[in-house]
Amino acid sequence: MANIKLYGIIFVVLGLISTTQFLVESFLPDGLYWVGLVAILALSTGKAIAVAGYYMHLVEEPRSITYLALSGVLCVVALTAGAGYSVV
Amino acid sequence: MSDHLPPKSSVKRWLVTTNHKDIGILYIITSLFFLVFGGILAFMIRIQLWNSGAVILSDLGYNQVVTAHGLLMVFWFLSPFAFGFANYLVPLQIGADDLAFPRINAMSYWLYLSSGVLFGLSFFQGSTLPTGWTLYAPLNLPAFIPSVAEIGAFAGILALAVFVASVTLGSVNFLTTMYRMRAEGLRMRDTPLFSISILLTVWMMLFAFTALLGAVLLLSFDHIFAGTQGSGYFGSAEGGSLLWTHLFWFFGHPEVYIVFFPALGVMGEIVQTFSGRRLVGRKWFIIAMALVAIQSFIVWMHHMFLTSINLPIKTVMMVTTIGISLPFDLMIFALIYTMIKGRVRWKTPFLFVLGAILLFILGGITGVFLGAIVLDYSFRGTYWVVAHFHYVMASGAVALIGGMYYWYPKITGKMYNEFLGKVHFAAAFIGFNLLYFPMFIVWETPRRWFHYSAGFTFWHQTASVGALIFGASFLVMFYNLTASLYSDRDVDESPWAYTGSAEWSVSSPPPEGNFPGKPSFATGKLNFLEGPATDGGEAQTDGGVAAAAEAAQPEADHTSWWPLILCATGLVTAIGISGISESYFIWPFVLAIPFFIAFVAMKGASTDGFGIVHAIYLMAAGPMLAAFLLVFHLHHGFPGGMFAANTYFWVTLVGIVSGVGALVGMGFESFFAPEPELAEQWPFEGVTNTKLGMWVFIASDIVLFGALIGSYLFMRLRAGWREWWDIAHANGLETHAVWPGLLNTYILLASSFTVVLALAYAERGNKRRTVGFLTLTFVGGIAFLINKGIEWVEYYFHFEWTFNSGPAASTYFLTTGLHAVHVVIGMLILLFLIARAAMGAYWSEGEDALTLEYFGLYWHFVDIVWLFLFPLFYIL
Repeated sequence: MANIKLYGIIFVVLGLISTTQFLVESFLPDGLYWVGLVAILALSTGKAIAVAGYYMHLVEEPRSITYLALSGVLCVVALTAGAGYSVV
Repeated sequence: MSDHLPPKSSVKRWLVTTNHKDIGILYIITSLFFLVFGGILAFMIRIQLWNSGAVILSDLGYNQVVTAHGLLMVFWFLSPFAFGFANYLVPLQIGADDLAFPRINAMSYWLYLSSGVLFGLSFFQGSTLPTGWTLYAPLNLPAFIPSVAEIGAFAGILALAVFVASVTLGSVNFLTTMYRMRAEGLRMRDTPLFSISILLTVWMMLFAFTALLGAVLLLSFDHIFAGTQGSGYFGSAEGGSLLWTHLFWFFGHPEVYIVFFPALGVMGEIVQTFSGRRLVGRKWFIIAMALVAIQSFIVWMHHMFLTSINLPIKTVMMVTTIGISLPFDLMIFALIYTMIKGRVRWKTPFLFVLGAILLFILGGITGVFLGAIVLDYSFRGTYWVVAHFHYVMASGAVALIGGMYYWYPKITGKMYNEFLGKVHFAAAFIGFNLLYFPMFIVWETPRRWFHYSAGFTFWHQTASVGALIFGASFLVMFYNLTASLYSDRDVDESPWAYTGSAEWSVSSPPPEGNFPGKPSFATGKLNFLEGPATDGGEAQTDGGVAAAAEAAQPEADHTSWWPLILCATGLVTAIGISGISESYFIWPFVLAIPFFIAFVAMKGASTDGFGIVHAIYLMAAGPMLAAFLLVFHLHHGFPGGMFAANTYFWVTLVGIVSGVGALVGMGFESFFAPEPELAEQWPFEGVTNTKLGMWVFIASDIVLFGALIGSYLFMRLRAGWREWWDIAHANGLETHAVWPGLLNTYILLASSFTVVLALAYAERGNKRRTVGFLTLTFVGGIAFLINKGIEWVEYYFHFEWTFNSGPAASTYFLTTGLHAVHVVIGMLILLFLIARAAMGAYWSEGEDALTLEYFGLYWHFVDIVWLFLFPLFYIL
């Protein structure tokens, strides 16, 4: 049976992280752009993990389902990293 | 509601069947038709090359023929031919009654046929694609395609998109089936080699073809919205031909193995059977195949040595390419050593496989030349590539032909004529080598060009004679296989000695339910437990309305008209889109929405009984249609408006409106496809077939969005990461606020929250809250789209920052647009779910809440995508 309270807490946390991303963009000095970039993408990744883990119930599913999803992510990383590196 | 299958003599059977064996036969016959189609085009090429310079075809005609030959053979013959056998044999080999989602399997086939028909029709729309099968940019762009070919070329591109849809559905189906429906005791490692090869093939297909879909989507965007040189994805300096080659070959290299792997499985099966012994090093053979499947995604840039990619990455790709040849060496040695250790019987299937191995060795060795950077500089774009490529691809085809002879008795119950089979092999093998080996000798002939040095004439004429012999050999095959159907050479379970896989343990052809009882390998060999195999365990609805759960032992369904109807409407829609103009493009889809709502109301009322929700839908659909028509007319101006649209607009409108009707019909159809009670399900125990299918689909969708996001990152890196928005401002983007993106993030997160709440309350049996939270989710979708719409209107109309306004505009509009399309699709599904939930579905029966969970998986995934679009397109 789903835990409604847990869903609520996760929703609040996701909203706060999104606000944090906005604040990082708004107030971080220009000289720290790359630090901000890493932080913002890391926060997005964290949000995605929370949604996948709890709203999509990956934490409760066999671990192989997680690996299945990660295999798609791995393909994207290979394509993007390879293509990106080829032109830098 | 479906019923029993009509007899095989009835045409209706072949239109409505969802049975895997029937669909396998349909695939095989259809793919052989495309073999003939592509073969005739190949003859035209060889006639054109009889002498240097034009013989029978114009420049554009030759370009079309070369392109269509390549595409038809690679996409519409080779893989579908293999998947005809896969459809027929995999469930038999693993001890399953059918594939996990029979209706979706039928849809895969009809989509495949639709895509082929669409491609064939493109010849009659002025001209089909004249680009070469690789569709290299900028030749694939409207600016570089002769105006007469513009519509036909785009139809060809759309045909590829429809084909990918078929492949993706097939991949989801096969992966779910093979992981969840293996007979008791059948470990994955013990699965017959052909099925193992199909498993690895569909893994590659799932990701590689989705990358191609991404590429085709970008290309379609360029065709519809950004046709001018210097804009869009592949016409711009930031994307350009390099972006196309990356996307295409990320798909294209695994595609070689996608074509070849089923042939490897066939080789393994046939070598074992006709050598009379188990494959030497079977475990390592399988490991080698798995290694190749993984490595296939990290070698793609060896096709790009002549592009501007840097030397370090070329070197890496050269190493990985050499590396990928090693597992192949192991596999070939295993096959050869098995023959040496066994006692070979020289039957037709074995001859074809032996021939295929020889061809593959030659094709493989000549391919290693192309993997070396320095040699590739000379060989690229020459007939060396043509010869190498055909040796590899045709070795796959030749092995599959061997497979056809091997399983022909199983499928038909009749034995072919052995003598004619050997004649076919001898003529095909001699003809093929006469056709392609001379190309190595005159390798300096430029590829895709019909002018060559006069000194090469003899060899090209020799090749043309070889083509004639090679083609004629297939006439022998067609005669043999057709005449044998009417012969008295009946076979029982197996005409071969030393067969080991399960399909040979049942009659030829196998009975409708496949097995006389529940297959089990629990004792280490195949047994049939008492009771019919199809009495079913947990009900799966294959996307439709849950079948009556109270029925104690419902029979599995085997027929449905909807896959055929749905795919036919898809074909009509695609034909329409191929010639629709930019300003009219969106409108058929918008106008179809009220029809969808009305169809849900009417079909829902007739299925579940009339309720208030249906009345609301009906009352909303009419005014909504009127409002859309008004906006449409305002946008296009009176008095022209809709009536000034060309025929393609009307064709699209008819196609999409009938398509949504078919979707609703299929959604409400009760279709029961049982999960087996006893099955090996490692490593996906504890989830249902549908849930696993959803996750497989999501994995492919990750790659689709990944291809778009990756393209954005690639273009931004080339443009200069931090100069990106400066370029956008220079191109007309006056301001770029972050807060609309933040607002939409809040909205989507909230809608994800309401979806899980709907699920939670459905599990608690609370109908009111279930319907309420589903409705709130729908409202969230509307809010998201309104916010997004305001932003688009601001950019597009006020700033005149349009699809054509540089790379930032193209990537922004297409990526966020595709995401918005996902939201809209989710909202349409929500309308369906709300209507059914309001009438008592999903909450009255505990298990039915799973339907909401499956929808939630999709919706949350769309949410996750936005979590990355928000920083990439708003913050950074």
